Amino acid sequence: MWATNAMKKLFSLLPAAALLLCLCGCAGSLTRYQTTYLDVFDTVTTVAGYAASQEAFDAEAEKIHSLLLEYHELYDIYNDYDGLNNLRTVNENAGKSPVKVDARILDLLNFAREMYDKTGGKVNVAMGSVLTLWHDAREYGIANPDSAYLPDADALRAAAEHTDIGDVVVDADASTVYLSDPEMSLDVGAVAKGWAAGAAAQAVKDDGLTGWLLSVGGNVCAVGPKSGGSKWQVGIRDPSSESASSYILKVGAADLCVVTSGSYERYYTVNGVRYHHIIDPDTLYPNNTFSSVTVLSADSALADALTTALFNMDESAGSALIESTSGAEALWIRADGTQVFSSGFKNYVVK
Amino acid sequence: MDDKKRHLKNDILLVCILLAAAAAALLLPRLFRRSGADLVADVTVDGAEYARLPLSENAELEIDTDGGGTNVLVVENGEAYMKSANCANQVCVGTGRISAEGELIVCLPHKVVVTIETEG
Repeated sequence: MWATNAMKKLFSLLPAAALLLCLCGCAGSLTRYQTTYLDVFDTVTTVAGYAASQEAFDAEAEKIHSLLLEYHELYDIYNDYDGLNNLRTVNENAGKSPVKVDARILDLLNFAREMYDKTGGKVNVAMGSVLTLWHDAREYGIANPDSAYLPDADALRAAAEHTDIGDVVVDADASTVYLSDPEMSLDVGAVAKGWAAGAAAQAVKDDGLTGWLLSVGGNVCAVGPKSGGSKWQVGIRDPSSESASSYILKVGAADLCVVTSGSYERYYTVNGVRYHHIIDPDTLYPNNTFSSVTVLSADSALADALTTALFNMDESAGSALIESTSGAEALWIRADGTQVFSSGFKNYVVK
Repeated sequence: MDDKKRHLKNDILLVCILLAAAAAALLLPRLFRRSGADLVADVTVDGAEYARLPLSENAELEIDTDGGGTNVLVVENGEAYMKSANCANQVCVGTGRISAEGELIVCLPHKVVVTIETEG
């Protein structure tokens, strides 16, 4: 008699039990996957995420990859792509004619102009004429260490005459960009990776996903925490160590971007002296006050632009900039290894 | 009265069994994954699988890539590092030793990626 009653109870409990099992089973079955791409922005891109299967992860990762490739092609100043007007097209038409471009170029240039104003000109995407001299010298110097050279100082000064961001004419209605100075060129290296990483993170969010971590050449964006709720741990490299895998501290990240620029990246050596890739618009040379600067913000593009700005600013000006920027924190590591934290940075440090 | 009590007892038992089953479904894969987790250094060249070296065995691997690029990967005492490479920037050699899941060594000029993974 009780057995049939128990059966009834069992059936009435089944849906609840099934739900419970499913909840537990589903949460338990998400696995962490990771993949790396080397063809975006001439740097290393890593995508990590929790998914129910390798196939589910691969589908989303490939979506992120193709989105990043689109941004890469649009912002590329070295290569042409069939049927695409990119920044190289804009540069080639400097002083000649406006170029009709994708909205993602207009948006980036408008943002870059905002950052120029916000940082007192310390982030200037119209500095291509100067940066190209450094780029060529660096590429040559890396390939030929024994005959590495510095860009000619007079040539740098002459190039700097053609870096007025006011000569970048963005026409939103016509969707065109025109460089009115024929000697001018754009180089969006200081903002493009952060901008694209932010767009990719937004795309993951728009797909209703959480528990993903994107890193585009040091621009790290966490979409949500890890599966299970704990924060992603993003290591900040010890700039004094030759090893890229030794960390000075770790930052806990959930819906947060962590961007680090360091003098140990993209440098070359001339007569025993290292020259890194972040060029101060005022001196036209790399500034060696800091060996790395890290910025935290939910806004990836903002964080990227601010690392460049802080590299080129003294501590008091940089600190004032960070403290007046809502939601942004910074860690400066001076050339002698000492660390300077913005007021709220330590709240993010993993103990 | 006695019957009702017994029903209640059985119901409680049933719920307990279901909860235990649910807990087992949640925990077993984790326990299994942890105990069975063997770390490997996964090596890809231009996105294609090249080799998988268990971190539990010391080894030295010469990675030959298109155009004469060569990297030498060493696995030693549960860590992997790039011993040498004939690339210009030597970033891979400078990366040092990696041993935790998700850590990377990348040689961009030779399109070589070494990732620490859990053997599935």
